[in-house]
Amino acid sequence: MITAEGLTKRFGDKTAVDDVSFTVKPGTVTGFLGPNGAGKSTTMRLIVGLDRPTSGRAAVAGREYRKLRAPLTEVGVLLDAKAVHTGRSARNHLRAMAATHGIPASRVDEVIDLAGIGSVARKRAGKFSLGMGQRLGIASALLGDPHTLILDEPVNGLDPEGVRWVRQFVRHAASEGRTVLLSSHLMSEMAQTADHVIVMGRGRVLADAPLADLVRSWTRNTVRVRTPRPADLAAAVGGPDVEIVSSAPDLLDVVGLPAARIGDLAAERGIPLHELTPTTGSLEDAYLALTGDSVEYRTKELS
Amino acid sequence: MTTAQAPAPTRTSVDTGRRLTFFRALRSEWIKLATLRSTWWSIGIAAALTIGIAVLIAQAIEAPGFDPIQAVVMPIQFTMLLAGIIGAISVTGEYSTGMIRSTLTANPVRGSVLAAKSVVLALFLFLSSVVIFTVAAVAVSLVVASRDQSIDWSDPSASLLPILVSSLSMAVFALIGVSFGFILRSGAGAIAATVGVLFVLPIVASFFSMAGEAWAWVVDASAYLPVAAAQSAIMPSETAALDAPVAFLTLGCWVVGGALVAWGVLRSRDA
Repeated sequence: MITAEGLTKRFGDKTAVDDVSFTVKPGTVTGFLGPNGAGKSTTMRLIVGLDRPTSGRAAVAGREYRKLRAPLTEVGVLLDAKAVHTGRSARNHLRAMAATHGIPASRVDEVIDLAGIGSVARKRAGKFSLGMGQRLGIASALLGDPHTLILDEPVNGLDPEGVRWVRQFVRHAASEGRTVLLSSHLMSEMAQTADHVIVMGRGRVLADAPLADLVRSWTRNTVRVRTPRPADLAAAVGGPDVEIVSSAPDLLDVVGLPAARIGDLAAERGIPLHELTPTTGSLEDAYLALTGDSVEYRTKELS
Repeated sequence: MTTAQAPAPTRTSVDTGRRLTFFRALRSEWIKLATLRSTWWSIGIAAALTIGIAVLIAQAIEAPGFDPIQAVVMPIQFTMLLAGIIGAISVTGEYSTGMIRSTLTANPVRGSVLAAKSVVLALFLFLSSVVIFTVAAVAVSLVVASRDQSIDWSDPSASLLPILVSSLSMAVFALIGVSFGFILRSGAGAIAATVGVLFVLPIVASFFSMAGEAWAWVVDASAYLPVAAAQSAIMPSETAALDAPVAFLTLGCWVVGGALVAWGVLRSRDA
């Protein structure tokens, strides 16, 4: 269980995290979403005590991180893969971390196997690829077999096998009753992994809801219709609550009517249909709709 | 919410004894120090310099009344910088690589991290220096034996004590480096500050000995710089700038003062 209450962090006159409150519950995977600069990483740093909040408080298992007696068995943290001395081998890095809690060397070897870095464990971490560095970071997070996992962009730089492993691993961890807070920019991956999502933008919480609810409230169901007589069909289905967009000469995207009703209306008038595909919104659509105004570093539309 | 929710399965906490203790923090810091090649390179260079220079001095100085133990401890003038730099980079290496974030999440009690690192660095420098100075003493004995001179091991003040106090001084210099490391965080900055205090300030102060009476206080004050205080402590004599107890107290003040400032910075600044 992670709780943030009125968490605020200012760097000079810039407010990185602005009065953020949320609870991350055990037994679920909570996705932490937001544009670059939204304050996700700072929030995670505040939770584990690397940064001190300007005001408010964060707690893990009801206690401030700095007051935990066994931080590594309580919380596994992956903040960024570059939290390793480049001159030390992966195994020695893990040994040094494990030593702080009296975690035995057998556990070090276990997490090396789990994270799939056995072949490079004795190499200096500075020589690691992005993906291997990421795996080492995950191995460090798992050392204490923690109740809570806080993973900032864990799949960044991982190969597809690694991405799937992280997904299965955090799902399994949640099924065992652990708390998982996970950030990612890969919406399709997040949609498969998270049960619950917290969306941040400009330092504030924009949404905190079960994933399905979020998608439902922030997207619209569209029916894609292909017909040789688009004008006739548009006239047939048109109405005050119906929005029709034509994206190709024979293609209409209809919002506001179910597919069955469109099919019936077309049949009544003898309009042939070549395609009738209902599409539901994705997490990505919901996310973009939600964060549209709060994107700090917006990409210029290509014209 | 109207629907009853099944309680999430909770894991029962079993006390496996896996928790943070200061002794374990010490072990972790030792593993970190011992698993970096730079540590062993630096200490190897310190050993080579100490033994080499000690032998050279023993061969060169044949003046009557020259105590051979002086040849053993004199190379500290050079190796003190290595001690300071080992201390500084043991901290700044963590900041430059991001390791500090792993260190501080594994042990969020910042005072404990500072204390553990300081104790490990001090012990490592002290013990390795004892070994190095002892080897140098044996080498010097071999050199001066040809002139019928020897290190008088029955007189601790002419053998064992200078070696122990020199080793202690090396630990003090390393701790000054550790403090600057935590205060400045940047490798270049911390090394510059450490070299400045250990090496540059004494030279600057020595210029003032040519200035008039009005500047005598600078020369007096320079006796309290770490290396000058160490010299007074290593070879106590009537002519030493500081009495031995004052010299030890001065070294202690450098360590405690540095650690306090480092602690203040470490606990108040974001990592």
